[in-house]
Amino acid sequence: MSNWRLLAGLVVAAAVSALVATRGPALYSVAAQQPTTGGWVQPKTAWGDPDLQGVWRYEASVPLERPAKFEGRPFLTDEEVSQNQKIEDEQEGQRLAGAEGAAVGRGSIDASPIRGNEYNSFWQDHGRPRQVFKQTSLIIDPPDGRIPYTPETKKAEARAAARYGAGPYESFLDPDTGERCLTDGVTALMWQGPNGGHNRIVQSQGYVTILHEEYLDRRIIPVDGRKSSGIRQWFGNAVGKWDGNTFVVETANFIDRTNYEWAAIFTRPSETLRLTERFTRTGANMMDYRITIDDPTTFARPWTAQIPITRLPDDTQIYEYACHEGNYAMSNLLAGGRIDAAKRQR
Amino acid sequence: MRAGIWGVVVVAAIVAAAAMWIHRPRAADESADGATYRAPRTADGKPDLNGIWQALNTANFDLQAHPARPALSLLPAPPRGGVPGLVRATPVALPDPAVRAFGAVGGVPAGEGVVVGDEIPYQPWALAKKQENGKDWLKRDPEIKCFMPGVPRATYLPYPFQILQGTNKIVVAYEFAGATRTIHMDTVGDSPSPTWMGWSRGRWDGDSLVVEVTDFNEDTWFDRAGNFHSDALKVTERFTPQSPDHLMYQATIEDSKVFTRPWTIRMPLYRRVESNKQLLEYKCVEFVEELMYGHLGVVDPATGRANK
Repeated sequence: MSNWRLLAGLVVAAAVSALVATRGPALYSVAAQQPTTGGWVQPKTAWGDPDLQGVWRYEASVPLERPAKFEGRPFLTDEEVSQNQKIEDEQEGQRLAGAEGAAVGRGSIDASPIRGNEYNSFWQDHGRPRQVFKQTSLIIDPPDGRIPYTPETKKAEARAAARYGAGPYESFLDPDTGERCLTDGVTALMWQGPNGGHNRIVQSQGYVTILHEEYLDRRIIPVDGRKSSGIRQWFGNAVGKWDGNTFVVETANFIDRTNYEWAAIFTRPSETLRLTERFTRTGANMMDYRITIDDPTTFARPWTAQIPITRLPDDTQIYEYACHEGNYAMSNLLAGGRIDAAKRQR
Repeated sequence: MRAGIWGVVVVAAIVAAAAMWIHRPRAADESADGATYRAPRTADGKPDLNGIWQALNTANFDLQAHPARPALSLLPAPPRGGVPGLVRATPVALPDPAVRAFGAVGGVPAGEGVVVGDEIPYQPWALAKKQENGKDWLKRDPEIKCFMPGVPRATYLPYPFQILQGTNKIVVAYEFAGATRTIHMDTVGDSPSPTWMGWSRGRWDGDSLVVEVTDFNEDTWFDRAGNFHSDALKVTERFTPQSPDHLMYQATIEDSKVFTRPWTIRMPLYRRVESNKQLLEYKCVEFVEELMYGHLGVVDPATGRANK
């Protein structure tokens, strides 16, 4: 999500993921989003829970918020779907050919928010074709498909966008939490996409563990009925339960880090944040992941995103995202910040 | 009469000594590999090592046997003639000014050591480097910077860790720095690059989980005493259940660039039996930013003053 990003250990993780994930032609298509009807049966663990294990990743090209041009329309037409598919196919070819500037989640290269995108395209993982879906936004509630910021946080969002990549960088508190190798926030963990977006789910009796490649973020979610400790944490206290074949996770007791800079304001935790996530496998290789974010500190009302997640081949690994250990970007950013400050004084 | 009493005393002493020999408690590092204890099984029939575990020893201070001392960082030894201005006294070991304020909290507790035979077989150059590391601990120890601790150090850091047994993967989640490793119980390819936490391949040997860990970088340490390795490190671990609430942990360390032969550490690991125990966050990156970057910005957040 950040465009500065750190070139050391994590480059290895991302580049390796790209290499490993590059496997020829498109494996998935629009059809993949249809719930499986017949043939596929939800596998179970040895102790009888629905089995969600494997490496999962968001590989769709659906934007989080509904673009203005689709106002009032939750779904694309069939023609638009095939046009998007064409764009994805073309961009895939460009990426595989090493073309600089291949857009990240945009309709065209010109629409990429990152000029040239040369830095990120080096290590982000676009080895696999993105899937095209009919949704015009991941957000399905509120019905307009937009994040329902309060007026105050809307200003904070605009401020964050303006200083993003521009600074000033007066101390280590000025880069965003991702650039500080802390996290990009629990809200976006499951759908980071090309940015270290592999997630391994491991189930043991009494727990579902999710290992996120990016920032080595990790959640150990009890499903044995135990209460959460109430100790405030970056990732709060998660409690899981099974609702039929759906894994439901409710998380509260987040620490307040709204004073930090966030690449995306909507991922920042405050003490009033409550997350509800629902993981439902819809087929061998697809998951319907829904997240409801309820935080009156940041949002005017709760909102829900419906996010298609893809299961990657069995031999997919997640790699060590050693971010802090090689964060040369931090000292370089601060050196640049000192030069900028000296210039301003002249 | 006197002789009679002494005779009784001698006989009693011999009997007591024999009894002590017979019932001599076995040291932790002599325990057999779970020969008499059979671990419970998971639903898919594997030995059940799930749980939150923790070492309870001083291995993270120093793998080898060591006496107590006032601090990890000490002033260089004063000249034998003593301190200028003092006629009589010569200090032996004083805490470095950088850690002096910790007082008794900054001391190093004594420990019996966890190295089998207590010798770490360094090559001569490596022994010199280890000693340098120890002297310069405050600047060099990666633990201070919240770097991933590596293996085996992650096991005996003074923080709990959790074993989570999935179908083909076993997650070992460490509290310190949120470090995690995945033990592949299925067949996987080689690690594409060196790593901090290694590349772990596991198998079951009876009740023991045996893990071969390779593909390390050379940036982690074994303890705060400066014991180190190179990127040729290979660690072979054995986790052997010994009772419902303790495991025996053994790690054999091979590194032909640094050591003259393989060597082994061994220690018990204890289950955190508290019913409400969970692995909590210790996201220490946030805790070390001032130390690592405070002096680099335009303003130091700790003082609010401009940096030079």
